[in-house]
Amino acid sequence: MSRLEISTPSDSSGGGPQSIVLDELFCRPQFSILQAEKEGLLLRELTQMVSLHRTACDPYRRIMDVLEKPHEAYESLAQLPYLPVSLFKTHHLKSVPTEEVFKVMTSSGTTGQAVSRITLDRHTADLQSRALSVVLAHVLGKQRRPMIIIDTPNVVKNRKMFSARGAGVLGMLPFGRQHFYALNDEMELDVIGLREFLNRHSGQPILLFGFTFMVWKYFLQALMESDFSIDLSGGVLIHSGGWKKLADEAVGNAEFKSALEEATGLSRVHNFYGMVEQVGSVFLEGDDGFLYPPNFADVIIRDPLTWEPCANGTPGVVEVLSVLPRSYPGHILLTEDLGVVHGVRDSVGGWAGKQLEILGRVPRSELRGCSDTHAFDRAPA
Amino acid sequence: MTPVDELKESVGVGMGGEYPIHVQQLLPTRRSVDLGEVLARLNSAPVVAPFDPSRMEFVGEVSRRLGRRARGLPETQALAYWMRTSELRRLEESFLELGSEQIILMPRGTVFHIPPANVDTLFVYSWVLSTLVGNRNIVRLSSRATDQSNLIIDTISEVMADHPDVALASSMITYGHDDAISSIISSSCDVRVIWGGDATVNRLRSIPIPAHASELVFADRFSMAAIGIMAYSSLATHERNRLAELFFSDAYWFDQLGCSSARLLLWVGADDPRSCATDFYDRVREVARHKGYVVDTSAAIAKLAQAYGTMIDADVSRYIARDNTLGVLEMASFPDVRGEFCGAGLFYQLHAANLTEIVPHIRRADQTLATFGIADADLRNLVTDLRGRGIDRIVPFGQALQFNRYWDGYDLLAELTRKTTIAVKDVVV
Repeated sequence: MSRLEISTPSDSSGGGPQSIVLDELFCRPQFSILQAEKEGLLLRELTQMVSLHRTACDPYRRIMDVLEKPHEAYESLAQLPYLPVSLFKTHHLKSVPTEEVFKVMTSSGTTGQAVSRITLDRHTADLQSRALSVVLAHVLGKQRRPMIIIDTPNVVKNRKMFSARGAGVLGMLPFGRQHFYALNDEMELDVIGLREFLNRHSGQPILLFGFTFMVWKYFLQALMESDFSIDLSGGVLIHSGGWKKLADEAVGNAEFKSALEEATGLSRVHNFYGMVEQVGSVFLEGDDGFLYPPNFADVIIRDPLTWEPCANGTPGVVEVLSVLPRSYPGHILLTEDLGVVHGVRDSVGGWAGKQLEILGRVPRSELRGCSDTHAFDRAPA
Repeated sequence: MTPVDELKESVGVGMGGEYPIHVQQLLPTRRSVDLGEVLARLNSAPVVAPFDPSRMEFVGEVSRRLGRRARGLPETQALAYWMRTSELRRLEESFLELGSEQIILMPRGTVFHIPPANVDTLFVYSWVLSTLVGNRNIVRLSSRATDQSNLIIDTISEVMADHPDVALASSMITYGHDDAISSIISSSCDVRVIWGGDATVNRLRSIPIPAHASELVFADRFSMAAIGIMAYSSLATHERNRLAELFFSDAYWFDQLGCSSARLLLWVGADDPRSCATDFYDRVREVARHKGYVVDTSAAIAKLAQAYGTMIDADVSRYIARDNTLGVLEMASFPDVRGEFCGAGLFYQLHAANLTEIVPHIRRADQTLATFGIADADLRNLVTDLRGRGIDRIVPFGQALQFNRYWDGYDLLAELTRKTTIAVKDVVV
């Protein structure tokens, strides 16, 4: 995997000419740019992206025309206009002509719910996959490792099951080799297979990937209940998917990690935060348990009463910024997640930048009104 | 075999309830009951003549007790006030005008009410009217109870204890989205009353009712308000504050999701409305602040998404949202923004030199027009110009949510009774 290669210059991708800032953000070690400098770089790039999308995406232009933001004049990242992420569910927003569309990604969503539609051209798709690889290289190194997927092989094989989970697994497969799926269709741990896999690769650094809840419930719990002891001290676990189900069992990140280390010796555990609307810009958990934005992304926490940025330490709604989305105006998004930035770490090398904690989804409101007898509408079709 | 019988067979139940179906009963008393038992009890209850003294006394007593307990609950206060004894007398008088020597009004029998999930007082209104005219009533309530709806239910339950005849003829139950249960209840009703979004209405309508039964449907509606610019400019400060208060209760009581709460606000007159509009919105914000109205995070995000979506779909010229209690989208043309709505204080503002300008844009779904400072003659002209295409009611500010027997073009008292005609003269053979 070469990392610093300039993307295939597809004839006239929506991204237009290569950006110097973008190259710099890719070239420099991830999580190394100090906040003030990074904000300067992102502001320059994102200001241009606002005007790029304004030209290329008519719905985006209509919004910007109303908001009356003069696009040259942003003085900080917080001044840049953001879109509510759910707009990608209600409207088709794209900044490339149809003939340049490479693929349209859709978000997960329970049956009946609207899904996000994200339009990618080759350029943006390429930026996303390069971004993911440089971010993960920060904790995985450049070698592809033998990989344990804490899921069932059907999650990628069975088309009917194809989902965010499947897409997540597929996205991670290139970072490992000799993939082993640790669970069967009944979500039972394949102890024999796991033992064989570990014997075969003993002494080698292993990559493990899974969804947070499944790692806890079907991997760790199963290991603890069995009398099978394994040594994963040389491994790295990447996991994602949120803490909601674990919070119900009163398990937080600290408990999660100490239980894993105790049972398997696995100490290098990294949670990540990302979304289909900004693939590639994944926030990765640093050595202190906080999530850090990679070079090409940042986060702002906003007060839901005023939409002004919150002070560090104050929870609010998470806004994510990324210089990767070129083919759709998803560069600055107000999410439906709650989070808090605990501080800004100014260390050269290692982990620098905003220290983010995700607190979960914004709870659904129970508004009143006579428009629906909800129970009936939610009935399965 | 009717489709209902087939369905009953397929879910393995009969009306006798060999296989009991458990539903949660809220009234007359809170307990888990078998649906068959509920229906058997209900069907054994006699119907009584319209405005029978027993029913009047019952409703009057509910009103008195609710009124005492509704401190700080304006929606419940309004409900109690609406069904106070003196109002019931007036209602009775106007009801009697529907009949004559040749036309005798009698109840229809059993009425199945399906009120909306989230207007915590609405379930009472159609039930009270139907109770007054003597019907038996079964109400399917949402399981999402609020403090307010619980207070109302408990109060009714208490009063029912002293009125066993009304208790026998009344049932309020709650159950999940179970079409089998709705089918069984529907199969034995004489009138079905459905409130809800278009999807809900269509879904419920596919469940058959007996051939003789009738159905009242209250689907998704859209409402607006109009302010005369001249009239507003000449108001004194305290009058402007009062108008803002009235508008607040019209718009915010049910988080702006009541069908009769305005979403579109028309400023009518030749002058530029902006200074009046700004002044008015600031006063409404102040009322909201004073009343402690809070927009939660999820609603605030939904408002933002709705506002931005509207900028894409319609001609928005400006977006004003100084805080998240009141957001205004200034429209350059009459927007088609009916349907999915976020609520919680988002308004489409439109300037019209003349009220008749809106005529071509009015649709069947348009229900209430709340007005201030517009001449009666202009309102009458509007109604005749519309030829019944839309707008069912025009009311002053402050009365948008005031329920009455005329709703969505129906006269509920007439719909919930049956007219029996009687020719009084013998034919001479």
